[in-house]
Amino acid sequence: MDILRVSRDVYGQEVLEGVSWDLLPVAVGIGVLVIIGHVIWRLMRGKRGA
Amino acid sequence: MAQAVEAAAATAAVPDRVQRHAAVDRVFHWLTAVAVLVLMGTGLLPVVGVKFDWVPIHWIAGVLLVLLVLFHIVRALGWQRIRCLWISAGEFSATRVGKYSVAQKLMHHAMTLMVLAAAITGVLMLAKVDTPFFERNPYLFSGATWGVIYMVHGFAALAAVTLVIIHVYFGLIPENRMYLRAMIRGWVTREELLTRHDPNRWPGRKSRQ
Repeated sequence: MDILRVSRDVYGQEVLEGVSWDLLPVAVGIGVLVIIGHVIWRLMRGKRGA
Repeated sequence: MAQAVEAAAATAAVPDRVQRHAAVDRVFHWLTAVAVLVLMGTGLLPVVGVKFDWVPIHWIAGVLLVLLVLFHIVRALGWQRIRCLWISAGEFSATRVGKYSVAQKLMHHAMTLMVLAAAITGVLMLAKVDTPFFERNPYLFSGATWGVIYMVHGFAALAAVTLVIIHVYFGLIPENRMYLRAMIRGWVTREELLTRHDPNRWPGRKSRQ
């Protein structure tokens, strides 16, 4: 998976184009992971408190 | 002893309803939310294959966001208490927090970084778009510099995705319902405040009956 989008100019040199959009699912995944982590933490805390 | 008496007096003085967010701050919050969602939608939907004329909507929402950020900076510096957002070591172990929890402060700081990065690079990127403000000039920076600007703007967009997911989740969970209500109607109840907040650590707390 690429982190950056890079192209080549007319001279064959690499030109930075921006961030790689392959990272979009990663950004969504991190958010979902935080939610899952919090849900698990809530469930464990609930069991401990019961 | 005197401190304990003072703390007890402050707790006793808490009214039934306590204002958490002034109307102007709530309007700012929801306008910012709309602007950020429009920017994310117009910026990211084309990435996933939804094609439409997104550029005009994107830059207009971006200009609105910049104006909102400028307004917020002026209001925060002139009318709000910046130290409400300062994170001190003691807060990590405190049972009751001041106006904001450590998590809320961290979310604010992360959002601030994301919005500033997106807004500053977005303003520079306006040079590549036809706007009524100035003549389009795509040669304002070198190709390498434009690459860095686009990269920072892109990372800010990705951070926005993660932060919005987390922010909306924590805004909707039942135990945080008081904060959602406070962001809509402005107030929390005395019980809610005293359960999770320490009135002595809530600088400049204003109250209303």
